[in-house]
Amino acid sequence: MRHFVGGLEEWLARGRALAAPREIASSQPDRPRSWARAIIDWLDSISTRRLFSLWLVMILVCGIGFWLLDAIDGHGLRTAQGPVPRDALGLLTSIYFSFVTATSVGYGDVVPVGLTRLLAILEAVTAMLLFGAVVAKFVSGRQERLVAEIHRLTFEERIERVQANLHAVISDLSLLIEACSDATRDHARLASRVESVVRLFLGELRTTHALLYRPELDLDEQRLEAILVELSTALEALSDLLACTAAPKRRSPQLEANLRSIATLADEICGTCVPRDHPPALKVWMDRIQALANRVA
Amino acid sequence: MAPHREVRSSAAHRTMNYTEFSALLEQGDLVLVDVLPEASYAAGHIPGALSLPLARLAELAPRLLPEKDRPIVVYCGGPD
Repeated sequence: MRHFVGGLEEWLARGRALAAPREIASSQPDRPRSWARAIIDWLDSISTRRLFSLWLVMILVCGIGFWLLDAIDGHGLRTAQGPVPRDALGLLTSIYFSFVTATSVGYGDVVPVGLTRLLAILEAVTAMLLFGAVVAKFVSGRQERLVAEIHRLTFEERIERVQANLHAVISDLSLLIEACSDATRDHARLASRVESVVRLFLGELRTTHALLYRPELDLDEQRLEAILVELSTALEALSDLLACTAAPKRRSPQLEANLRSIATLADEICGTCVPRDHPPALKVWMDRIQALANRVA
Repeated sequence: MAPHREVRSSAAHRTMNYTEFSALLEQGDLVLVDVLPEASYAAGHIPGALSLPLARLAELAPRLLPEKDRPIVVYCGGPD
């Protein structure tokens, strides 16, 4: 067995790519993406403004196209006065016709003949689809902003709740440690209190663990540090309490399972384990949490 | 690697630098093992690596690493 010392750190520093199980499952190089899928993806990626400009540009280009087709006899645009002339005025008329066609107005004062009919059909269909996409993007844009705002608010609430609950956990644990050391107290009654504080702790640890493993989330560094410090304190207090209370054999299976979950989750919190690169101060606290995980189960 | 853990293995334990590692990867004649936790593996790992988190190394190793003839290379987060 050999050890590649550089590890993920060096791998990434050398600019090499990582694989993630999600990616491997979905990417199938043998199957080409259907063009419909490609179009939809492209529409999703560009902004509403750009799509609208694209629509305008298409109309202008078609207008020029009509005017150019005029050069071929019998395939240009006609008005009641005869074929559209091939000068600057004719160009303007062609662009006018292009707009009238694209917006599906179709006055009928200028009509296409021959090849221009084909171009007119293509333009009408494309312009309608494009414009539909513009309107849809415009409407959904507002919805997307609302949803993003809701996500942000919910997220902040969650972080605050984690902090508040960890406070409660720590103070509960301190009280329990005091009660435990006091030999005159009834230890049996303490057991249920221990179970409930462990359950609460597990919940908040789970949330923090999930947040740490989502690198796309923007966690406020100070808040995160505060949470890590409290997690670490709580873990220490928990291990002290466990040292004082009943031996492992006499714990309920539910408590045992919860303690094991706590240990597993805490073990996965270390400076180099989490996907996002945090400042060294935070990494130190994360490593400490991992170190304390040993003492809990 | 977390400083508090020891990897107990009876096999010879040698380190490898990036150049050797890269070359061996090209050949493809190795078993690459990622010892970071499952969540880290899911977020991203060196392509071709198997996940054997340290915490469960003892239980998973016999199952996932039956062949003793191909070289086994492990990696974790970094030099620390």
